[in-house]
Amino acid sequence: MEMRSGAVRFRLPLQERLQASMNWIRIASAHDLDDDEVMGINVGGARVALYRSDGEFFATDNRCTHAEALMSDGYLEDGCIECPLHQARFDIRTGKALCAPATQDLRTYAVRRDGDEIFIADPAVA
Amino acid sequence: MNPLDASIAIVGAGQAAARAAHALRSQGHAGSIAMVGAERHAPYERPPLSKAVLCDDVEPALDVLTAAQFRDCDLVFMPGVRARRLDAAQHALHLDDGRILRYGRCLLATGGRVRELQDLPQGMPRVHYLRSLDDARRLRGALAPGAHLAIVGGGFLGLEVAASALRRGMQATVVESSPALLGRFLPAEVSDWLTCTLRRAGARLALGRSVRAVRSDAEGVEIELDSHETVRADQVLAAIGLVPETGLARAAGLLLDEGNGGIVVDACGRTSDPDVFAAGDCASQFSVHLGRHVRIESWQNANAQAEAAAAGLLDRAPPSQAYPWFWTDQGPHNIQILGLAASDLDYVRRGDPDGGARAVWIGHRSGVPIHGIALNAGADLRALRPLFEERIAFDAEEFVAGTAPMRAWVKSAIASHVTRT
Repeated sequence: MEMRSGAVRFRLPLQERLQASMNWIRIASAHDLDDDEVMGINVGGARVALYRSDGEFFATDNRCTHAEALMSDGYLEDGCIECPLHQARFDIRTGKALCAPATQDLRTYAVRRDGDEIFIADPAVA
Repeated sequence: MNPLDASIAIVGAGQAAARAAHALRSQGHAGSIAMVGAERHAPYERPPLSKAVLCDDVEPALDVLTAAQFRDCDLVFMPGVRARRLDAAQHALHLDDGRILRYGRCLLATGGRVRELQDLPQGMPRVHYLRSLDDARRLRGALAPGAHLAIVGGGFLGLEVAASALRRGMQATVVESSPALLGRFLPAEVSDWLTCTLRRAGARLALGRSVRAVRSDAEGVEIELDSHETVRADQVLAAIGLVPETGLARAAGLLLDEGNGGIVVDACGRTSDPDVFAAGDCASQFSVHLGRHVRIESWQNANAQAEAAAAGLLDRAPPSQAYPWFWTDQGPHNIQILGLAASDLDYVRRGDPDGGARAVWIGHRSGVPIHGIALNAGADLRALRPLFEERIAFDAEEFVAGTAPMRAWVKSAIASHVTRT
């Protein structure tokens, strides 16, 4: 019984527990990006695209799942990133491939904003 | 044999056919869909056939639809079957396996076949054509480092294959009858840049030359040009264009476009028969952006017309037309094009094709953008698209001199247009 009550006492919502256990890496300042802008960042060998849409930040793998192209060279509008090579479109929140020629989703990374600082979950761990 | 019945029958199993089937299901069509494809493959993407399929160590995945999407389409899929005759009055397709497929409505997505060069008959040893996956696999098998590939036809396809052959360590010679590469699609400056770039990469280009005779022996192929030069090669690819596959439509009495040879369709893909539709390379449609009927052989056009035809098949309004868009990957370079060239356009350029191999050209008529070309700058052309679609005049000098990101510049161009009007 004691153990059980103890577990209950320390129980956090799933999201917070996940966030607490993540390794967060600071990758940018909020003012580095305007709305509908995207930038490419290398995080310990991982190529990550950081997006700003409606004041919120999102991150995915930077390389298109269809061809050798970078999302950070693409066109961001209405929460969708268009690949600069063949206009494959992905939802930046979910990474979902929305239209041909891409069929495979982009990997996404959790993003946290703390004041002006933007962090993403360590790609090597996440 | 028993007759087959389908609410919608799709003839063809290429890009347009697959996208149409997917769009029909996305738009809620619950009836049966049959797809008759002459090839034995499930619908595949053709753009990689001239590039990744020839170059990559492992053949890339080419499926137009994912396995899940294909399953969700719930097709009666008949690969390796040809439709021999379209009986529009009886709503029936006669198949070459003897069966009859009855339909409520029919979509012709028959694409096209390669235009044959008389001197280079298909099936001749060392002679290649490239339209299907089987063609590409055969060509790939013939590409050997150090060997020489001659390519007759310097269009998108021929040039892409030339770049692939060079990448595979081959010699490549392109014979093109017109003096400029891709003249229908590119202004002189871009065409010249491409010519120089290909030559620097090692391609030999015989421009303004036609084939006079071809001899093939155990040693190789000898191509005699009208300039009396000869090209000796190990393999030869003829890439002189596509003939729209309109046999079924013609025999059924459907209206064809005399100019471009395509099956005439309206904005939602309907042919001159109310229950027969057409989409993709075989269709001729009025382009609201170009102001005339065009038959466009492009991946984007196949997708867009498939969407429109799916809406038409279900008696819904088609989505608005996107500005015609093309892309080609020439070796390491990506060229994107909005619209088509016209002789009366003035071209302006931002960027430096020689320095950074990155530039954007706009061909305009009194400041209204008509034709856009991006060299390794696809996102910039994407940002410019609203100016083309809305026919918004821009300040050419500002465009050339501008240093702001393209997207910001487009925003200001739209804002000043709104202020003026």
